[in-house]
Amino acid sequence: MAHLHTRLFGSLRIRLLAGTLLWIVASLVIAGWVLSGMFRHHVEQQFLAELKTHLDQLAANLEFDDKDRPALSSTLSDPRLSKPYSGLYWQIDGIASKQTPAEVGLLRSRSLWDGALTVPVEHSMEGEIHQHRIAGPGGATLGMIERTIFLNETRNQASRALRLVVAADEQLMIAPLERFNSSLWLALGVLGLGLVIAAIFQVAVGLAPLQRLRKALSAVRSSETQQLEGDFPAEIRPLVEEFNSVLVQNTEIVERARTQAGNLAHALKTPLAVLANAAAGENGELARLVSEQVDTARRQVDYHLSRARTAAAVRVPGRHTLFLPTVEGLVRVMRRVHAERQLELVVQPMADKLDFRGEEQDLQEMLGNLLDNACKWAKQRVEIQAILAQEQLVITLDDDGPGIATARRATMIHRGVRADEQVPGSGLGLAIVDDLARLYGGQVDLADSPLGGLRAILKLPSTYSD
Amino acid sequence: MRILVVEDEPTLATQLAAALRDADYAVDVAHNGVDAHYLGDDEGKPYDAVILDLGLPQMDGLTVLRKWRASGRTMPVLILTARDNWHEKVAGIDAGADDYLAKPFHMEELLARLRALIRRAGGHASAKLRCGRVVLDTRNSRVSVDGLPLTLTSHEFRVLDYLMHHQGKIVTRSDLIEHIYAQDFDRDSNTVEVFIARLRKKLPPGLIETERGLGYRLVSPQ
Repeated sequence: MAHLHTRLFGSLRIRLLAGTLLWIVASLVIAGWVLSGMFRHHVEQQFLAELKTHLDQLAANLEFDDKDRPALSSTLSDPRLSKPYSGLYWQIDGIASKQTPAEVGLLRSRSLWDGALTVPVEHSMEGEIHQHRIAGPGGATLGMIERTIFLNETRNQASRALRLVVAADEQLMIAPLERFNSSLWLALGVLGLGLVIAAIFQVAVGLAPLQRLRKALSAVRSSETQQLEGDFPAEIRPLVEEFNSVLVQNTEIVERARTQAGNLAHALKTPLAVLANAAAGENGELARLVSEQVDTARRQVDYHLSRARTAAAVRVPGRHTLFLPTVEGLVRVMRRVHAERQLELVVQPMADKLDFRGEEQDLQEMLGNLLDNACKWAKQRVEIQAILAQEQLVITLDDDGPGIATARRATMIHRGVRADEQVPGSGLGLAIVDDLARLYGGQVDLADSPLGGLRAILKLPSTYSD
Repeated sequence: MRILVVEDEPTLATQLAAALRDADYAVDVAHNGVDAHYLGDDEGKPYDAVILDLGLPQMDGLTVLRKWRASGRTMPVLILTARDNWHEKVAGIDAGADDYLAKPFHMEELLARLRALIRRAGGHASAKLRCGRVVLDTRNSRVSVDGLPLTLTSHEFRVLDYLMHHQGKIVTRSDLIEHIYAQDFDRDSNTVEVFIARLRKKLPPGLIETERGLGYRLVSPQ
């Protein structure tokens, strides 16, 4: 029940449509009912008026013959009265009195053939017209009016009363009513359908900006844009503006977190440098201990700082970073830092627009660590290649160094151990790369390089498409 | 060789200066960005290398570096900083730094990198500088003649070191003064002549030529 409730009222479209639909149906039903009622009333009045005309005609044509028996001076005009069981009938009954017994069907229309109408006995005053529904021939229901005529005493007859009856099959009234009703409901149905279609169209047009909003949001999510873009109606614009300012604020919070992490690094590392240098100038147990602990502390600081950085990563949607400028910046650093080694650093040609879906700093961190490792170990040559494969940015770094035995590769990545204590560096590099890549839904793998050393393969999400 | 150390943390600055003096460098120290910029921007007294911390009061290290490079200062700069993420490294190198060292560091590594920077700035590929029979090993500051070690005083070494780095070029007396003495040292131009005379006695003859009115030149005898 709650589920159904959520489904019905959880959708603006259904809400709006249900409301409109209810209103359309209700107003059409009421209109139909009123119109149908008015028409029925009209038809009934007409039916009665017709019966009355016949009754008047009957009364006017009523004569008495020599023996005071009633007779008609002329046949009534309506041909239906002569056609058997046509549905329109008249009949004259003699009403029972002290002197005379009741005579049902004293005179009657040809249409009654050899039957007579059974009329409920009722006393009425001269001139009063009564209305009844009675059973007629063939089981039909008849609408009937009657009028009683009182005859004064004449020479050969005592005073008596005659009842003049005109009846018609109600079908004569119902048939046009039904025809009217069916056309009425058909017309109202068509009108209703038209209104519903108009309502659906209106809701679709009215809610279209929400659809656009959804698309704009998904563009932000997939990092194509950093803000909700496009024109929105005045009702939605405040929402869009608020959302955009939340996005901006988010970015600022992350920037601040990064800055704080950097400040912490600065605050901790300078005293560590002082300690390390003080200890390096001394001999003895204390100096050795300090050196050792400073190294441990430095590694811990590096590790937790990188964790803090990765924790702040990815949270900001809408960021993407071009790959080529980033790798070129890092290559410039490598050329300077490893200038002594005169390495050949080769960036293979790649699409200019190839990008990484995420923060520039995170890409620099991953790529920088991998590139630094490659440069440390390479004899002469390091090659960097990036392609788009299965909608992922696939970066390959090759070196011609000694490589790493297959068995040790997994531990290198996951525990962040140092490949060799003799090569400067924290050894956390690969673990940081792995952490960051995973956060972005990517991964880093190590393999044999065709150059003879190690190949690092970094797979990351991209917004680029060929 | 004259080195400018820019570091705002006084203890670390002192340690750096001490270690560099031990390695026979003339050392000036600046504790903030404005002083550092002023000292490094003096065309008349160029430093042979700068060790630059990035997080400085008054003017940050990167700004100082950019200003130097914009006004044509080409001395090698080694950035020393606690902020060692790659973003900062790229920014540092792009601002004109020549190398990068993260805190905390080993002093030996700093000295090795500094020597390499100075050597490369003078166009020398090898860590051992040669001039005829004389070899100066920049890694351990030892001088040998025909493979036999030569004992030099600190100032004698500084003069020879500078001349070896600038082989074949004329080095003026004031050049030598600027590069062998720290800024606050009481200088006497006559002492340069004394050091040159002592070096000439210790080194094979004809190595140090005197260019009248100009200065000295270290030449490799054919």
